[in-house]
Amino acid sequence: MARQTDNLWYKDAVIYQLHVRTFCDSNADGIGDFTGLTQRLDYLKDLGITAIWLLPFYPSPLRDDGYDITDYVSVHPSYGSLEDFQTFLTAAHNRGIRVIIEMVLNHTSDQHPWFKEARSSRENPKRDWYVWSQTDTRYEGVRIIFVDTETSNWAWDPVSKSYYWHRFFSHQPDLNFDNPAVLEALWEVMKFWLNLGVDGFRFDAIPYLVEREGTPCENLPETHAIIRDLRKRLDLAYPGRMLLAEANNWPVDIRAYFGDGDEFHAAFHFPLMPRMFMSVKLEDRKPIIDILEQTPEIPNNCQWCIFLRNHDELTLEMVNDIERDYMYDEYAVDTTMRINRGIRRRLAPMMDNDRRRIELLNGLLMSMPGTPIVYYGDEIGMGDNIYLGDRNGVRTPMQWNGETNAGFSTADPERLYSPVISNAVYGSQVINVDSQKRSEHSLLRWMKSLIRLRNSFQVFGRGSIRFLDPSNHRVLAYVRQFGEETVLVVNNLSSSAQAVELDVRRFKGYIPIEMFGRNLFPRLGDLPYLLTLGPYQFYWFQLRRI
Amino acid sequence: MPPPFGDHVVGSFRILQFESEVSRALAEDTFLTDDLLRQLMGVGEVDLLVGIYSHSNTSTTSHTLRAIERSFQQHFTRQRAVIVNTCGGDKDEGNAAAAGLSNVAEKNVRLAESASLRTVHQVTGDFSAPPSAAMALRTILAAADLLRARACAVVSPATTNLTPDWIANLLRPICQENVDFVAPLYTRHKFQGLLARNLLYPMSRAIFGCRIRELYSDEWGFSGRLAAVCLSQDAWHEEPIWTRPEAWMAISALSSDFRYCQVFLGQKLQTTTGPGTDIVEVFRQTVGNLFWCLESHQSAWLDGERSEPGQTFGPDHELTSEASDLDRHRIFEMFRSGVTELEPILSSILDPETHAEIKSIVSLEESKFKFRSDLWVRTLYDFVASYHHAVINRDHLVQALVPLYRGVTFSFLVEHSDSSPAEMEAVSEGLCLEFERQKPYLREKWKAKVEVKS
Repeated sequence: MARQTDNLWYKDAVIYQLHVRTFCDSNADGIGDFTGLTQRLDYLKDLGITAIWLLPFYPSPLRDDGYDITDYVSVHPSYGSLEDFQTFLTAAHNRGIRVIIEMVLNHTSDQHPWFKEARSSRENPKRDWYVWSQTDTRYEGVRIIFVDTETSNWAWDPVSKSYYWHRFFSHQPDLNFDNPAVLEALWEVMKFWLNLGVDGFRFDAIPYLVEREGTPCENLPETHAIIRDLRKRLDLAYPGRMLLAEANNWPVDIRAYFGDGDEFHAAFHFPLMPRMFMSVKLEDRKPIIDILEQTPEIPNNCQWCIFLRNHDELTLEMVNDIERDYMYDEYAVDTTMRINRGIRRRLAPMMDNDRRRIELLNGLLMSMPGTPIVYYGDEIGMGDNIYLGDRNGVRTPMQWNGETNAGFSTADPERLYSPVISNAVYGSQVINVDSQKRSEHSLLRWMKSLIRLRNSFQVFGRGSIRFLDPSNHRVLAYVRQFGEETVLVVNNLSSSAQAVELDVRRFKGYIPIEMFGRNLFPRLGDLPYLLTLGPYQFYWFQLRRI
Repeated sequence: MPPPFGDHVVGSFRILQFESEVSRALAEDTFLTDDLLRQLMGVGEVDLLVGIYSHSNTSTTSHTLRAIERSFQQHFTRQRAVIVNTCGGDKDEGNAAAAGLSNVAEKNVRLAESASLRTVHQVTGDFSAPPSAAMALRTILAAADLLRARACAVVSPATTNLTPDWIANLLRPICQENVDFVAPLYTRHKFQGLLARNLLYPMSRAIFGCRIRELYSDEWGFSGRLAAVCLSQDAWHEEPIWTRPEAWMAISALSSDFRYCQVFLGQKLQTTTGPGTDIVEVFRQTVGNLFWCLESHQSAWLDGERSEPGQTFGPDHELTSEASDLDRHRIFEMFRSGVTELEPILSSILDPETHAEIKSIVSLEESKFKFRSDLWVRTLYDFVASYHHAVINRDHLVQALVPLYRGVTFSFLVEHSDSSPAEMEAVSEGLCLEFERQKPYLREKWKAKVEVKS
């Protein structure tokens, strides 16, 4: 239990990402809610995850899946009440599960009272809480993020007859962080949730907080100053809570958000994710090695968060054109699968439902440096519906059983916020929690054992990594070390059996113990260590000197 | 500086000193070393393979390796690729040349701009026997076969201006057009490559019916299918292919209905190492090789008729006009003295009528001398037939052709001292047609029963 009270808990965590709406509906209105989620906490506890990251659950017109907030300190009525949230939070904590919630700093909904006031007149005290202009040529050249829907970062407000700045959808005006009142207001929001007991915030769209003429308006020093300010307040008043950065940038740029250990506690490693998919398709470790070699060291109290899939498209921002074309051709040959600069598919369909590849990728996720994030439903291999528009195809109801509405809700199917996946391969009749609980060799059972194994060794969350360089480039091998814990990980990225010789002379005399079966392998010596691996097979060896 | 007589054929290998050792090595059933096999295991299946013989060219090998790697990065970003560097007995040299490849290719390139999706593998193969081109090629073919490479190329470190585009041009027809053999075309100045222009190309074209201008080259491409076929053939112990196995490979392709094409690569610059300056040695390696190929592939050409143009990517040829510094008078004197000295041997090789004509032109004054194309073709066909019937030692027979070639060369230099490239090309085409016209003569002499003179 010492780890439970450790302020670095996020380094050992296995995070489960979910949207309240998608998980479990307790009141038969077709929409998931906090009461339903609370009822399913035992499932998550049993799965072995140690933290939940909740997607936005605030009041919102829901034109961007809740990232368009109209009230920062309340719960969307569809998901329940503040009391329901409090009950959920307490129940999660009682099970040793921490809760991370969304903090959308960069923008609000255009229906937020702040913006309604701001646009009401140019003299309104809230006017300066947003970024206004009389022309749409300020900050010229700044890239547009949602290229499929937006043509400018400026939108015309017919009420106050001015342009307002928005880096995302035009119904999401950016807040003006040059106004100190904005920061104070958002700190009040954070305090509200911290006082309720939340364990951390995932800060959305961090690079875009501040605008300056003649710059890309991303990752500016002023943005870092804001983060340092909030971190300082957090550490003073709420030690042990964490801040997680969403910054879809290169590692060297994200590194800046760790500061000297005085900005974010954790940040997503976006570029690694597509390269894991690329490596498996290419059957070559090069993409993974390349990006991790370019990943700088981070302060000891900081952590990378790594993931395979999430609620958004599989972003291809952090790859070059050749790599993006390759990813499209291999994983999104149907253009319906593509959105913005990414792929709107879930893990299992991207892997053609190949259990071996799904396991390999999850094995990589759990053994690479960083805190893994599992997207809801991926632990049972849920499918997607690319015809639902936007990214809703990866946000369908959780599939609990083979009954009506997949056990998600007792409402009429027509009333569900989204249709349940119903095709012959990924439909809820085939893919659901109940059936996988009953099957000894199901993906769910396997995921539980994988997570349990990971949770048993701090080396995965905190250890160093050293890549081995066997001549067989279809094999990715690395050694994780933390204190007395040493783990050798060997992954066959290819679809065929491989032989590999590993130079592990520095561990001469150690005994490899295969961690899933606890079987002993021959002692390491001076000679290259020969292993054979089946297609997509991987080994985790604990190296022990006995 | 071009070699004497303008011959472009410059091999990468020195004259063999230990032929018996090479023969023994080539006859070995298991010729891949355990070390190379271990490296190949690490590579696995590939789409592309480029082989080089780095023996005796260590100084330029690193440039060649970088060009290959850049070609993979620029033109074949998705393909699985390997470089097979056969360094013939000195692996350390090959490794030294290859050192820094990754540094150059990867570390100086920011990830976002890097074009290479995959690892570019490089394996280095050595063999304990004295180096030979045949052993190197056999190693490359074996690697191609084991790795199931679809498209392969061989390039020479002796070529100092090799570019990534050359590699791409050699490999693309195989990847995209299903071609099995890709021969290069180069920009030549007009008196460069005269052996190819006056003998190798027109003769091989007439006999095999396929128009490959550069049958003897240091760069060529081939499919995995062709590699497998050549690897399985029982010709590796034959001396004529030890130094120039590429022509044997080309002729094997032409003889087995594999698809071929030519690709234009541009001007070729090369180091002057190798046997290129010794015309007799060049004859043994090329003409001797061609004669042997005619012998070993006779079933493929004996009944063939006229040649057909093949597919060519880029210009069919490109000549530049440059003054020649060749000593014509010396060439003529060597022709005259050589023919005189070899009189008894020529009489056993040549048809009496041909021999009589040769003797008549030897007596001409230098200013009136002309070696007619019909006589040259008939002379060559007499030599080929005599080679077939083994009227004398075959190696001696090939060497006996050298003085006559000098006569043709002298005649060509005089005739074309002021010709434009287009005029030269027209004359060459006429020579090719003469070879084709007289092919029945060769066929008749080939099939004739001949009494071997002692």
